[in-house]
Amino acid sequence: MRTLYSLVKKEWIMLLRDWHALLLLFVMPAVFILVMSLALQNSFASQQAVHISYYLVNEDSGPVSAALTQRLLAVPGFSALPAHVPTTALATRVRRDQVQFLVIIPRGFGKALLHAHPLPLRMLAGPGVEPAVYKLFEAALHNALGQVYAEHALARLKNMMPAPVSTAVPGFDFDAADKLLHAGSLYQTHGQMEFPSSVQQNVPAWLVFAMFFIAIPLSTTWMQERQQGTYARLRSMGLNTRALLLGKLLPYLGINLLQVIVMLLVGLIVLPWFGGDRLTLGHSPPALVVMALTLSFASVAYALLVANLVSTGEQATIFTGVANLLMAALGGIMVPRFLMPPLMQALSAYSPMAWGLDGFLDVFLRHGGLQTVAPDALRLLAFGLACLALAGLRPGRREGKG
Amino acid sequence: MIQIDGLSFRYPRGNNDAISNLSLRVRHGSLFGLLGPNGSGKTTLISILIGLLPSPPGRVQIEGISLQARRPETRSFSALVPQDYAFYPRLSIAENLAFFAGVLAIPAAETGVRIQEALSVSGLEPHHGTRAERLSGGLKRRLNLAIGLLNRPRLLFLDEPTVGIDPQSRHFILKAIRRINSQGTTVVYTSHNMEEVESLCDEIGVLDNGRLLVQGTLEQLLGGSESKQLVVGLASTLTAEQCKALAAWPGLEVAGSELRVAQCSAADFQHLMALLATHGLKPSRVKYGYGNLEQLFLHLTGHRLRD
Repeated sequence: MRTLYSLVKKEWIMLLRDWHALLLLFVMPAVFILVMSLALQNSFASQQAVHISYYLVNEDSGPVSAALTQRLLAVPGFSALPAHVPTTALATRVRRDQVQFLVIIPRGFGKALLHAHPLPLRMLAGPGVEPAVYKLFEAALHNALGQVYAEHALARLKNMMPAPVSTAVPGFDFDAADKLLHAGSLYQTHGQMEFPSSVQQNVPAWLVFAMFFIAIPLSTTWMQERQQGTYARLRSMGLNTRALLLGKLLPYLGINLLQVIVMLLVGLIVLPWFGGDRLTLGHSPPALVVMALTLSFASVAYALLVANLVSTGEQATIFTGVANLLMAALGGIMVPRFLMPPLMQALSAYSPMAWGLDGFLDVFLRHGGLQTVAPDALRLLAFGLACLALAGLRPGRREGKG
Repeated sequence: MIQIDGLSFRYPRGNNDAISNLSLRVRHGSLFGLLGPNGSGKTTLISILIGLLPSPPGRVQIEGISLQARRPETRSFSALVPQDYAFYPRLSIAENLAFFAGVLAIPAAETGVRIQEALSVSGLEPHHGTRAERLSGGLKRRLNLAIGLLNRPRLLFLDEPTVGIDPQSRHFILKAIRRINSQGTTVVYTSHNMEEVESLCDEIGVLDNGRLLVQGTLEQLLGGSESKQLVVGLASTLTAEQCKALAAWPGLEVAGSELRVAQCSAADFQHLMALLATHGLKPSRVKYGYGNLEQLFLHLTGHRLRD
């Protein structure tokens, strides 16, 4: 016990004096969480936060284009900017991504609306417009056009009817579609429907990413111990492989758990200071603890394996950097998995970072409990045990030289 | 103290034996110098003795205890001071000593006393709070030694403990080793510094290619009976004619009034004395045997460069 205490204490003292490691393990993920959460705030925010600006040029004159204009201006989140300059100048601004869209209602649009060959509305998007935003704006235009079209088609139909019939036809509410749909998210924090913010995605994502970087300080100290003969000295003092592995596993587990606490505090306290949303932790502290423990175990065991595979500190840094970036890219840390094509989504099922992230998202977003996180926690546990077993098989190298 | 009988060892993927049928005795309280060129098997032998490599059953005994059967027992009274700085640079001297005391499971109540002892022997008291990474080479060597003293070893393995330090630090460390030895600790000392071994060790073993070539005291090794160097000092300076006559002798070198024969048997010696008498030369002194340990070492292990 005294031996183990000494091993743990030694690792903690050394890590606290290693500014590079502290920056890597605590400052880097905190900065990532802050920057990415604030930068992606709009992408994850509710509809109120969607802001799309566009120029609307109405070359037509008449009630149809006036009605269409009115409907477009009424769409929430879309801002029509004053178009006081020629259309070509407006198109240039859109091409430069100063404004996202240019909408032109062509001359004769109203008259041709119900004819066999209608004049189409022109929608031009800037080169930097995201596909999702393009589709959203296009859908809004389709909706407005559909309503105007139906309104005028019905009006014409009524005009063609004899007076007694036309007066018997009731008026229609063309905004009824909004009343016929109650849309909402199952993500609720205070009993009210909400949309998850970027914080809910970014805190667990960058936390998982940072936890796997424990491999760099761990393998560097392990390497120094091997290269400087400290490992041989410790073994000559009777320390066996199990004690040596445990002497690494426990202190770095503690450091990983400290990372979890610090990053959650960044989401809970620091992000709101910077104008970001506050992280919500879900409803199951036990599930959160289980995820934190299993992910820590997996990342430290992985770090021990890396430390045993490489021969120099440089190799450890390069290997960990590349492997972690790959695991992060696959695991949905950098790009959310729902944006990936099916093949990449299938591949991501093999990334331990994906298991960690899914587990945390189950707790934070889906309000999952122990049962929900159990599959991911078990995968992480199995991964950690496999890494530990492999690390234990080759704890040192031949050191004879004389 | 240490008794090795017919020990052989081969690394798992090695083509040759790193240690080959080696037998060696190190008596209790000895300061034993283990010499050998690079790759001769010194570190492998020490690794076996300290328990880092497995030993075949019954081949190695320390204090009468079979190494294979009772490893933990031997660990409690032996210690290794490796050639490398085997400690933690980011920890202070005191923190390093406290850490290794913890690893050795020295009772907490006794830790302070042991650390103080180690600091005192190695002369590190004034620096105990300094981080190891900020120490000079000499202080690092002393810390390396101090850690090896924490369990008050009866058997201490020192692997080139004075490499890369100034003469003052070397002198201090050698003095400390003598003191440790004088208090009853058996010391096995490896070094490439022959002068150091000559002055320090009371018994020496030379190892090469995993085999023990010779073992004995310095006097025994340098003054043995086998074919060795002869040095003859002459009372008068040689004339040109005398020089010419002696130059015909195979292997004889003339240096002023001194004659040297690299390999001289007893029969050769008699012939040479007769030749000197023929030319009216009187020897003023005769030295037979190796001049120093380095000459013996090179004679035994050859001049071929090692990796």
